[in-house]
Order: sequence, then C-alpha cells, then structure tokens
Amino acid sequence: MELLFGGILPYVAFAVFIGGTALRITTWLKKPVPFQLTLFPEPDGKVGKVAAVTREFLFFRTLYRESRLLWLWAWLFHFSLAMVIAGHMSGIYFLRSQFTLIGAAPETSILLSTVLGAVMGTIMIVSLSALLCRRLFSQELRKLSESLAWFDLLLLLAVALSGLGMYLPGYHADLPLVRTYMEGVFTLRPAPLPLLPIFVIHFSLVNFLLLYFPFSQLMHFAGFFANRAMLVEASPIFPTPAGKRLRSQFAGQKTQRGVFASREEADAREAPNR
Amino acid sequence: MKIPLYLAKNEELRAIGIEPVPEAEQSVRAIELLDQYRKFSRQLSVMLETCTGCGACAKACHSYLGTNDFFNIPAARAGLIRRVYKRHLTWTGKMLTKLTGGPDIDAEMLETWVDYFFQCTVCRRCAVFCPFGIDTGEIVLAGRNILAKLGIASSFMVNIARNELTAGNNTGILKPALLDSCSFLEEELREETGVDIKIPVDKPNSDVLYLPSSSELFTNVETLMGAAKLFHFLGVNWTISSTLLEAANYGFFFNLDIMKEHNFRIRSAAAAVGADTVMEGECGHGWRVARMCTEGANGPVPFHLVHVLDFMAARLPDLPLNKLPLRATLHDSCNYARSAGLVDAPRELMRACVEDFVEMTPNREMNFCCGGGSGILMEEMMEIRMKLGKMKAEQIRQLLPLDYVALPCASCKAHVPLVLKHYGMEGVATGGVIDLLGKALRL
Repeated sequence: MELLFGGILPYVAFAVFIGGTALRITTWLKKPVPFQLTLFPEPDGKVGKVAAVTREFLFFRTLYRESRLLWLWAWLFHFSLAMVIAGHMSGIYFLRSQFTLIGAAPETSILLSTVLGAVMGTIMIVSLSALLCRRLFSQELRKLSESLAWFDLLLLLAVALSGLGMYLPGYHADLPLVRTYMEGVFTLRPAPLPLLPIFVIHFSLVNFLLLYFPFSQLMHFAGFFANRAMLVEASPIFPTPAGKRLRSQFAGQKTQRGVFASREEADAREAPNR
Repeated sequence: MKIPLYLAKNEELRAIGIEPVPEAEQSVRAIELLDQYRKFSRQLSVMLETCTGCGACAKACHSYLGTNDFFNIPAARAGLIRRVYKRHLTWTGKMLTKLTGGPDIDAEMLETWVDYFFQCTVCRRCAVFCPFGIDTGEIVLAGRNILAKLGIASSFMVNIARNELTAGNNTGILKPALLDSCSFLEEELREETGVDIKIPVDKPNSDVLYLPSSSELFTNVETLMGAAKLFHFLGVNWTISSTLLEAANYGFFFNLDIMKEHNFRIRSAAAAVGADTVMEGECGHGWRVARMCTEGANGPVPFHLVHVLDFMAARLPDLPLNKLPLRATLHDSCNYARSAGLVDAPRELMRACVEDFVEMTPNREMNFCCGGGSGILMEEMMEIRMKLGKMKAEQIRQLLPLDYVALPCASCKAHVPLVLKHYGMEGVATGGVIDLLGKALRL
C-alpha cells in the first residue's frame, strides 16, 4: 500500500498529467484554423500580441473590465495557487530557508515562508469558497454549471484544505522527512510514503488531481492560450503574398462552380420535380 | 423558447445542392457531422473544451438581454452543442455517461438547436467579454452548418443562397433588370446633380470591381448613388458586375460550401472585367467574409481587396464637402468592429460630412448588435428580432433628439428602421455612410 501510494502513484499521476495535457494540446493544434478569427482591435506585431495575451494571462483584464467581483475571486484564487505551487517547490527544497537567498535571516525566512504559506492557503480556500458560493446562489450560474464544475471546485478545495491542515496547531509537519521522500521521488529512488496522516491525504489528493487534470475543464488554462492565439492572429494581406501555404484542405478543394450556371437553368432542372 | 422560423423544404434544399437526411437518421448523422466539423476547425474543440461556465458572457449578449431566455446566454447556447459533444466525442464523456446516463441527441435536441442558433446573430460580443475569448458565434455557425447538412435550414436563408448561386446576388436580379435599374439611377443622378454620372455594368478594362449589396439597387439606392457620385468625382475606373452583384455571402451563415462557391465568383468576376482591385460596399458580414475568409476558403487571393469606407477615408482630403445640417450617430456593424477592424474610417467620414456627429455608448468593438445580423432578417421572426434589437434601441434613445443613424451595413439598414419604429423612434432617419458622403459632396 505504501509502495503503491508512495512509489507508483506519483509517477503514474505525473506521467498522465504531462502526457495527457500534451496530448490534449497537440490534438487541438493539429487541427487547422480554416479562417482568421482575429478579434479586433488587432494588437500590433508579434510583441504586441505576446504582450496582449500575457497581460490577459497575468491580470485577467477582461474580467477586471467586465465583472469586477468575479475578477477578484478568480484572480485571487489563481494568484494564490501560483504562489502556493512556487512555495511548495522552493519551501520544500530549501526547507523554508529560501528567503535567506534574498538576505533574510534563517529564522525570518522560516517565519516568512510559514506565514506566506498559511496566508496563501487561506486566500485559496476563501476564494474557492467564494467561487463555489457564487455558482451556488445564482440560479443562472447553477443552471450553467456542468456537474463536473462542482466536482472541480470541491476537489481543489479538498486539496487546499488538506494542505492547510498541516498548519493546524499541534500538527508537526516533518518537512525534512517530506523533503527526503520527495527527493527520492524526483531522483527515481522512491522511498515509502511518510505516514503523516494529513500529509498522506493531501499527497493522494494532489496525485488524483494530476491524474484528473488533463481530462477535465481545468484544462482551460491551456485552452486560454490556444484560444487567444487564434484571436490575435494577424489579419490577411491582399494580394496574398506568394508562397503562403494553404490554411487548410478546405482552401484546396475545388468548388462546384458551373453547377449553378443561371437561375433559368436551375429552374429548368427543377421543373420535372414539380 | 420556440421560434417561428420557416424551415426550407426539401426541394429548396436540393436547389442549393443539399440532400436532406431522412429524419430517422438525423441524430446519428448529426454526431458524425459534429465529429467532421471538429476535425475541420480547431476553434470548435478549443472553445467547447475551454468554457468554465463562469457566466461573464451573460451581460454581453444582446440576445439574452433582449429575451431573458436562459439558453440565450452564450455559454448556455454553446452548452447545447457541448453536451452532445462531450457525451459522444470525448472518452470522459462516454465513460461518465455509462456511469450516470446522459442526454442523448434526438429530434427534440435538434429542434432546440434551431431555436437557439437562430437567435444568435454571430456578433462576437461574447468573445470580447469572455476571459478566454470564446466566440460563441463560431459554435453557432458550426451548429447551423451541421443542421443545414442534415437538411434543417431557414427557408429565407436557403432562398437567398440560391439567388446568390444562380443570379449572383441576394435579390435574384438578372442582367436585364440590373441594366434597367442602373439607367434609372443614372437618370436620378442626372436630375439631382445635372452631371452625367454612370453606373457601369460589366465594363471591360475596369480597375475596380465594386461589390455593393444588391439591395442598393432597390431599397438602399442612396448608397449606390453616393458611391457612383464619389467614384465619378475621384475619376475611379470602376464597374459593377452582373455575375456577382453582391457583397453579402449567406453561405457563411449556414453552409460553408456555399460561402466558398460564392466567394470564388469574386475572383472570376474581377478577372472578367480586368479589375485588379475588388472594393466591397456597405455590407457587414460581406466584408468579414471577403477579408477574413477568402484566403481560407479559396486559397491565395490574387487581387487587392479594399472596403469602400477605407478607400473614401483615404481620399477624404480630395473631397470638397458641404457639412450636412444633421445630428447623426454611427452604428458600428459588429462584423466591421469586431471581425474586420473597420472602425476609424466611417468615423472620419461621418465627422467630415455632418455638423453634429455623436457617438453611441458603448461603441466600436463594444457596440451592441442591431439584432438583424447573421441572416436573421426573416419576416416570421419579427417579434424576436425586435427583442434582439432592444439594446440597440436603448442606445439610440439615449442620443435623442437625433436626425440620422448611419448604418454602413445592408442587414442593419434592413433591420434598424423596424427597430426604431417598434420602439417609437420613427422620426430618426437611417441610411449608409456613403449616402451622406455622396450628399455632402460638392460636385
């Protein structure tokens, strides 16, 4: 059981996460975009396009402009998620001493890391709950939500709650033990899972999240880029520059020209059916 | 909400090359077609698989705001396809259905598709409001294409497409009638200006092929007359074509093969008159299709493609204008503003030719659709069309007293006067931008 959860599941989960996500994205990108879908005003040049998409990605500008309250919860959730992921990577690797790298005293670093982790975890839980309530209390949104949307939110909430659970007073999160274990996982020498109850729950939920991610609506993070890329495509130039490749097979197919020579002919062709 | 749309009869469909699928096979065939469409276009799968149902699109949509019908929320509208798509074409959907059971596609679902895909005007405002930029219009067009291949299409659109395919224009004008109309308009121009201004038809060795909306020969004549005056003054060697007298391309609204076919004629019509420049007249979706879809549908484009408004704006310094004593506003056609980037030229022209130009709020890429876009101009839909036009009416009402709403799009020209009447603003005149420019021109 320990081997299954500690030694096999993480690899399966990670492989499915990376492989599944890559598969979903390549499936999208292999299909042609038969027509330019540029949504105007068109950003200027490559730099402008990258800047526009990046601004949208970092600050959720559209939501900010159109739906301020939703923006607040959505942005806070995604921001705290990003912080928490970064915190996990640096905090576990450096055993909370990551802030000494920018000049903090070791004790300060540990305190800062702990407090930031707790704060971000709390923001995540609050914002997820707000997003959940938003859906729950609006009849319109309740109807709009697919059943899996609820599951996604609850799963993320469970992950966040179990993670924050390790901050409970009296709970000793044995960070060095976790680090040793994670190091083992990353260097392909998996050790048995440290049997710290809340950690086991949190770790298993995260593994499940990774397994589930590529097949869920959580893929909207990749869909964002795939979609925005289509909307900022440069509009066509006329006459079409020589040597430009056809956008899709559709452009290469012959039309049925000549089938409809004139109205009279079409009428004549139809006449026997009348 | 059920809509009173007249569906095309089988013989109408066959006339445009569509073989209707028998009713019993439609459900199965719909899924095959959905699968085909997903392979055909990346946007369908990306957009369906990305929506998180956050609801930000609800207040973007004039259709939802006008009708208050849940399924007119863009995400809900797209959900009508998404449910079928996930259930049948994703393996998580297939697995989950085994566990939980799920909605299957049946005749009732197809009817619901018709009801809601024909209450969307493909204006793309939802794409501006969506944090991911999901364009429900693309999903609606996919849905309408699938329905059409099953043999379910609006009779109104099918007959217009048939006119485009056979006569080369929406109204079914054939060459003799066209020549008649042109000489009538030339006569009018002579009376008005005292100058001999031609509207050349199929003139060989022309530089510019002008594609008006064919409605400009009957109802929106001021637009064609304005253009003729301006071309005459600027010394443009232009012509219209009897084989392609139409900027509109109704295939775009329900069948891309027909769009492609109609598009192809631009090239042959331009070649026939020797033009190396094709100039599109005032038609919203026509300009979107010509500019954004010609290369994708028909391969490399060998000619220059310009819009008459861009052309005139560039030549503005050459035009002596008397400002008209009007308080006028400009309605941004959705296809210009969001789908083809034509927002500055009409404003420059408006400022140059009226005394008091006022902007609507919101405008440009945030503008509301008038409610008559994407071919929703059929009589039987009048009640719904008025609801779809509610937001536009409210926008215009804020600007009263107003003399003129400039509508540089033939669908808007057909729809907005009815909206104004319905909402008690009969006094406001409507027409194109080129109309005003033509009237303001000192010959």
